[in-house]
Parts: sequence; structure tokens; C-alpha cells
Amino acid sequence: MVADLSFAGVNRWLWEAAPELGPRSAGGDAASLELASAARELPRMTDATVIEGATLRAHAVAMPETSAFEAFLDGTQTSRVIREADGIPIVHGTVAAVVRQRVNRRLVTWRHEVRHRLYAPRTLLSSRWNALLDASTVGVVDTSRGEGDPIAHPYAVRDAASHRVQEDREAVERGLGEAWCAEAGTPLLVDGGTSGSETLASAPQLVGVVKSHRTLYVSGAALDAVRSLKAGERSSVFRIASTHRATVASWYLRLRGPSATDWMWGLVRVEAADMQGASSRELSERADRLSGWLLAERAPLSLPDARWDRMMYGTRDCEEFLRAVS
Amino acid sequence: MALEIVKNSSGLSVERESIVVSGASNAETTEPLGRVVATERRPNTPHEFHFWTALDSPVGIGTIVRVDSAHPIGGQLVHVYGIVVEGLSYTDLQSPLHDVLAHDAMPASASRAATERAEVRLYTAAVLRQVPEEPLQPVPMGAVFLADETDVAVGLRMDGYLRPGARTGIPVGVYHAGGTNAPIYLDADFLIGPEAAHLNISGVSGLATKTSAIEWILSSIFAHFPASKGSVAAVCFNVKGPDLCFLDQPGPIDAADAALYEQCGVSPGPFEHVQYFAPFKADGFSLNTLRSNEALLHNVSSLTWGLREVLQYAEVLLNKDDVDAKADALIDFIRDRIVDHEFRDPQLLGDKRYLVRSFADLEAWFRDVLAAIEAKPGEGYWRTHHVATIRKVRNRLSNISTRCAGLVTDDGAVSDLPFGEFQDRTVYVIDVAALEEDAQDLIFARVVTKLREHLEKRELGVNHVVVFVDELNKYAPGDGPETYVKKMLLDLAERGRYLGLVLFSAQQFRSQVHRRVVGNSGTAVYGRMDADELATPGYAVLSQAVKTKLSTLEKGQLMVRHPHFTQPIFVRFPRPAILRGRDGAERYPQAVDVGLDAAVLRALRPLDPSLTLGAVQDAIGIHDSDDVIRARNATVRERPTNVLAFFRAQLRPIVGSRPAVQPLPPPVRAPSGSNPYDF
Repeated sequence: MVADLSFAGVNRWLWEAAPELGPRSAGGDAASLELASAARELPRMTDATVIEGATLRAHAVAMPETSAFEAFLDGTQTSRVIREADGIPIVHGTVAAVVRQRVNRRLVTWRHEVRHRLYAPRTLLSSRWNALLDASTVGVVDTSRGEGDPIAHPYAVRDAASHRVQEDREAVERGLGEAWCAEAGTPLLVDGGTSGSETLASAPQLVGVVKSHRTLYVSGAALDAVRSLKAGERSSVFRIASTHRATVASWYLRLRGPSATDWMWGLVRVEAADMQGASSRELSERADRLSGWLLAERAPLSLPDARWDRMMYGTRDCEEFLRAVS
Repeated sequence: MALEIVKNSSGLSVERESIVVSGASNAETTEPLGRVVATERRPNTPHEFHFWTALDSPVGIGTIVRVDSAHPIGGQLVHVYGIVVEGLSYTDLQSPLHDVLAHDAMPASASRAATERAEVRLYTAAVLRQVPEEPLQPVPMGAVFLADETDVAVGLRMDGYLRPGARTGIPVGVYHAGGTNAPIYLDADFLIGPEAAHLNISGVSGLATKTSAIEWILSSIFAHFPASKGSVAAVCFNVKGPDLCFLDQPGPIDAADAALYEQCGVSPGPFEHVQYFAPFKADGFSLNTLRSNEALLHNVSSLTWGLREVLQYAEVLLNKDDVDAKADALIDFIRDRIVDHEFRDPQLLGDKRYLVRSFADLEAWFRDVLAAIEAKPGEGYWRTHHVATIRKVRNRLSNISTRCAGLVTDDGAVSDLPFGEFQDRTVYVIDVAALEEDAQDLIFARVVTKLREHLEKRELGVNHVVVFVDELNKYAPGDGPETYVKKMLLDLAERGRYLGLVLFSAQQFRSQVHRRVVGNSGTAVYGRMDADELATPGYAVLSQAVKTKLSTLEKGQLMVRHPHFTQPIFVRFPRPAILRGRDGAERYPQAVDVGLDAAVLRALRPLDPSLTLGAVQDAIGIHDSDDVIRARNATVRERPTNVLAFFRAQLRPIVGSRPAVQPLPPPVRAPSGSNPYDF
């Protein structure tokens, strides 16, 4: 039985339980799969329906720069190959999420969750390895389930594991976000999109901040408008609808002036609940209000994080917390 | 020492030493206030550890904490006691510039930021004690608790001398941190001897901390010195102002001080038994002290010495240029053969006999010897002593009575400390504040030497004497010539504890005092310190934070080092319930100098309050002042029943003058017959 579910603990347990199955991982040699998968995410552009006015244009945020966010939600994931079972990678994944609540201007933990699991295509493993995984008390996610006939290509196995780890991380985040909405119900800033959960996407007190722009929801003149946003300006609100995800309202907001070499520098995309039936004015007022809150979160800076131009300090605080506990 | 079994939170049994102190440990009920942390760059060691706390924790520099280890060693959970010596605070800010950028270089906007940066309070503590003591290992990870009264006693190893039946604790003050108020005890065996001894206190001038602390510690010693260790008295040299002139007069204290007195088990109040000694002024009849107010004279005695008392310490007053080998030999001769001996020298002085008992006698003897030598042409020597040497010694010795006028008497009258009759729990104050440096040195050297001599013979009257000397950097400087006083202080510091002779010393700059004197002080106490002084090498063992605290100590706060404490401890002591020198000088102004008759009345009235000025004037009559002073000294010394009659009897009778009868010159030639013109 594994007492320590961390990578090191499981690694030690596997070696002690079945030393004949090969040497244990050196730990430090096992690179995070997230680094590789992020680079492989393809950029894309898609159009969205503008719901504030007729065309997408810049709006100066008129609201005072005060923040009403009471808490911040973020999650992290780490997955590394812990062992190769006859050439099939077995991945150890850790997902964690936290809500850090702001009390007297300082952030304290409202609730957090950390999960450690192993990810492996059970159908491709030998009976000895399956027996060994069953003997452990670590939760094992079968990455071959629902995948048809999994192939034994290590990259494919890793990608599948990484995908499942991401799902687990989103689930943990979702669970905490939903708990906050049910119990606290006050404004919560979520790092990333909110469309993964119908509950979160429709919660009026939740605001998602997307820092990555591998998917652009504008093109042509709209893209020009977004690219030209000045610090403190936002784009018109548009609607993002997807068959697999919940519908949300979204807009771009420039937190800091653009860089000469990267117009996306200082630019975030905001997701909020889609206000069905709301007038253009109501949409504007809400977008301005929430944008004002976000602009108020520009200080303190999130340095030394490389994404400090787009990252709220509360989000960085969540990541630092999770780094300490996971 | 009893051991008690305590169940900790994990159910493991641990042994803790059971000690007897008031109050109960709250170790099982309080929340931890911090956690031990260690990194590769800042590891914990057996003597030092690091821990963090909440931002609002009561921890500060000097706070005593207890670490409870999470894992047992040899079946026992380790308890580590430490004192905070350094503190750090930092945020996740990588560069100050980042904060400037975040707030557009406008500090005011920082206060409007929605979130404050994550901040850590990281403390470094020096280990006071680990229980069990072996194996001595680096401080383990664990929860950190504010030390309660029991923890303080265990951590400072006070449990060893606070046991019932063998209690030798002397309260020095109260340690305060968070909700903990714990009396701190010094071990009498290490304060008064014989294990270690002596106390040295440093601090800037003007705060009255040093004097107050000494007064308080003496009160505490008098209240708590174990009866089994015998009796104890104190001899204090008042070297400046009225500092120690009113030790027997009550002074006001506030409620906080009263509480400190109560916690330390000392009754607030002035010293019950105090005796003052002061020489006269140069006039020979006015006491040279700020405590000369008539209302306070009942316990003030004059301090006067004659030739015999002074000659033994001639080298205190005579420097090496004065006393070469030849002069030294002559002084020895005078001391051994002349003073208090009947002396004759038929070859030089004929049949004349000398009994030298005073400076006046000695001067007469010198005069005759020199006159006799010079009357014999070609004789330059007398008993191997050259006439020039004799002249030189005469000059130097005669000069002493001038340089120490008021202390040294020409007539040999002696009024001294009651050596052999010292009383338990009594303070003897010698006021030398207004004296010349030579006279101060002479008093200091002779009194300490006499104390040592009497203690060696076990006939002082008490078993232990605390000698308090202020301005130690003046008497035992780290540099400068090797004076008699310095040598004597070194001897006292190094060997006094075996005799029960204990040195309590004070100075502003410890670094300027001879290292062997302060180094032999088992207990060192510090008040507020000067930053320049703290920068000297002697304070290198203190952390910068401790130095900062030392330089900002409030009145009434001390840092204490004691052989049982592995680290210095900060304590608060009560303001002594004694009239402060400055207040005393206002309430009891110094008596104005008066004439001889009034001075005699002042001196005699404590012996007979019914005396009047008229009666004294009548007795004095036309006697000269030397005669009157001699009579007064004799009366004060003898303390007769009938004071006035005794005083009169001491005055030399005045023989009435008779008219001179001028005989008529004889006639050149007697007339013959009846003719008167018959020449």
C-alpha cells in the first residue's frame, strides 16, 4: 500500500514492490508532459458573434478601478512518466486547485484539493503490471478506456495520459468553483475559461480570465480593433458558443500597453456568464464594471512570473500556494 | 528533580522535568505560533533554528519559544527551548523596482491596491536547551510554542536551583512576552559565589538604569539570599552626585512596579539598615557629602584615618616616580620601626624619645632627623638613607595630609567602617563623590583590602560582602598604567569569590574596562547601550537584532547574561522603591557650611538631642579649632553617656596667664651712707 502518493513516494513503492520490473525513475529526469503538450497546441482563429453593438470596437473602461473580487481560483497539473511497463509509459499525475480568499487585503486559503493518480492504458499492460497497479492504493486511470483500440506508441500513450490529467485538473477546479458559488456566492476570479462547466459558465459572480490566445475569436477588422486596444480599453462583448462547452460572453481587455514586438502582451480575454436577453447597454455596463475590477488587480505585479503582464496577483498567489502543497 | 510523564498530542509519552515555579505550563492547551523550517541554504543546527509565524504573532527579539518535535528520539519526544535572536521579513517581490512599476512610482497608490503581497515573518532562534540533552542533534522540524513560565525555567536551566530545599534563586527581573510573565532567577552560587561571582552592568548614562538596577538587585539579594549560605552585606562607593545618598528613604513606585515586586517576591521599600560614611571637608569639621542634611545625620559617620591607616597604602598615593627603591625602603623603615614604636637614636638624636602616631608627630621626627644630619658636616647618610631621600619621603608623606585633607587627620584620629562588626543585610555607603581622585583611590584601596583581610580571617561579621563600584572604567581601565587600585580590582575579580568578597561594578563603556575584570564577572547586565560601544569586538557574539534592541531598551529593561543561561535574556525590573538621588537632594538639601561650633553641635546632637548651640559654644570657649576637632572626634568615637561633659573633658585645659613681673635693674653703684648723691 502506498503511503506517500507523491511522485517520489509512488516511485519508491513501485521499486520496493517489484524491483524485478526495472529500475526506478530518477525523478529529476522525468520531464513534465505539460511542457511538451503546450507547445503542440495548435493556434487557430475563429469568429464569434458580437453582442454589444453591431461591430467589435474598442471601449474605454469608464468604471473606477476598484475590485470587488473576493477570491481567486486556479489549478495546476503536473504529469511525469514514472515507469515504462514493457515500453508502455505509466504516468504519475498530480492535479491541484485552490480558492484563495481575500481577507483584509491578504489572501488566505478558503479550500484546496490535491489529487495524485497514475495514468496507464490497462489493456496494453501485462498482467504482472496490472496486478501491481491494483495492489497499490493509488487511483489508477485507465487511459485506454473509451479510446477504441489504443496504440502502443509511447507518444500516444503520453498524450492520452496528459489529456486525462487535464480533465482531472478541470474537474477539481470545477468542483471548487461550484462549491464557492454554492457557499460563498461572492465574486470569484477564475484563472482560465469558465465554459467547461455549465454551472460556472452561468454563475453571474464568476469571471474567467484567459491569458493564452492560441485561439483568437476575432479576425479581420475585429482583429485590428483588438490589436489596437490601449491600456484600460476593452473590446465589444461577443458570445462564444460551442457544442462541447457552455456558452459564455467574452471580451478582450488590455491591462497594459502593448509591446512593440507582441501586441498580445498585456492582453487578456474575459469570460463571464452569457446574459441572454440583456440589452446592449446592460452588457456594456457589466463589461465595464468587471473590466474595472480586473484593471484594479494589476497591482501588485505578478513578477517574476513570465506571464506577469496578464496574470493577476491573486492567480499567482494561488499558483505559489499549490506549488507549496502539491 | 522530579520527572513527570506528559502525554503529547500524538499520544506518545515524554518526560519533562518537574520544577517548582508558580503558574502552570499551558503546553498542552495553547496553539502553536510557528513552525520550524530549514533549507539547505539555511539549515538548522544544534545551536540555532529557524521558524515562521503569523504576521500578528507576539514573537519578537528576545522571545523564548519551545519546539516540540514531531518524531521521538529513543522513545522520547525532543523539546527544544530557544530565544529569538534575529528576525526577517520579506515578500515574494523579486526587485524593489517591481513594486515601483506596479504603483506607477506613487507610494500612495500602494495603499489602494486590492491585495497585499504575501509576506513572511521568519525568525532565527538560538538554542537555550534541548531536553533530553543527549543525543545533541540539530533542531528537528516541529511546532513552535510561546514559552510559558515552566518552559522559561526549564529553558534557562533555572530548574536546577529552584528546587524545594535547595533553592538559591535570586530574582533579577521578569521576562515578558505575549501573555507570559516569568520571574528570572540568578543562581546565588554563581552571583555571590563560590561557583562564580561578581556582576558587571553596562549602559549609557543618564537613564539611572545602572544605579537603579544595582539597588534592585541588592534588594533582591537581601530578600532571597538563602539563610543556609550565611549572611551578606554590601559596601557601596558613591562616586558621583547623590546617587546612593538616600537608600534608606522611601520613594514612589507605580502599580506596574509593585506588580513586578510581587512577582519577584521582594517587598517594595528602601533598605532597612544603611550606614553612611563620609570624610570631612578640608576645614576638618563639615561632612563632605550631599547627605549632610541634619534630618539624615543619624546614620552618617565621619570617615577619618590617621598616619597608621594611611601609611600602609602609601603606594596608592605615591606613584613610581615618587617611590623608587630607596624611598620605598625608607617608608618601610618608618612603617616598621617608627610609627607606633618608641624610637631612640642616641648617636644622632641624643636621648630624645619619639612616639610617632600622627602626621604631626612624623613631621616633628623628620624635622629633628634632618636637622641632626645637617648639623654634622660631611655626614650625608643616616642609617644608609641619603639625606635627599629622607627629604623626598618627608615631602611626599607630609603632602598626603594636604592632598587628602578631611580624610587624613594630622592628629591620628580614626573613624572607620565597623570592620569585624558588619551586620547582615546592611548597606554601608561610603560617599567619595566630592573627594579628589587620590583620596578616592586611598579609600577604595584600604576599604577593600580591609574587607579582604577580615573575610580571610572570617571575622568581618558577615560571610559575604558585595562591593559596588561605579565608573569602573576609571578605576580599572583597559589601558593606562598599572595602578594599585587596578591591581587590587583584578585580584578582587579573580580571587574574591573564594573569600565571599563580591564585586558589583558598573560603567558606561564595558569595552574600556580591563578584560580580566569584566571577564571574571559571572553575571553581566546591560541597560541601553550606545551604538558605538556595541560596534566594538566585545559584542560580536550578539546578533544585529539583539544589538538594535539593546540600543533602544527602555528604562527598566535589562539584558542579562548568567552562567546558567546559554543566551542573554531580556528582563524588566521594578523601579526601586527608594528615593532617587536627585529627588533626595531636593527634599533634603545639603546643609550649608557652618562655623565650628555649629558643626560640633551637628556631630554631637545625634548622641544627645538635648544639646544646644549655646552649651557647645560655652564648652568650646576660646579653644583652638584643632583642639575642638580632636575633642569632637573623641566624643563621637566613644559615644559617652554624658556627651557634653565628655566633650569638655577632651579639651586641653587652658592655663590662665599671669602678669609678668619685671625686676628692677640693679644700680650701677650703691650709694654709701645717707647721701643719695654720693656716687
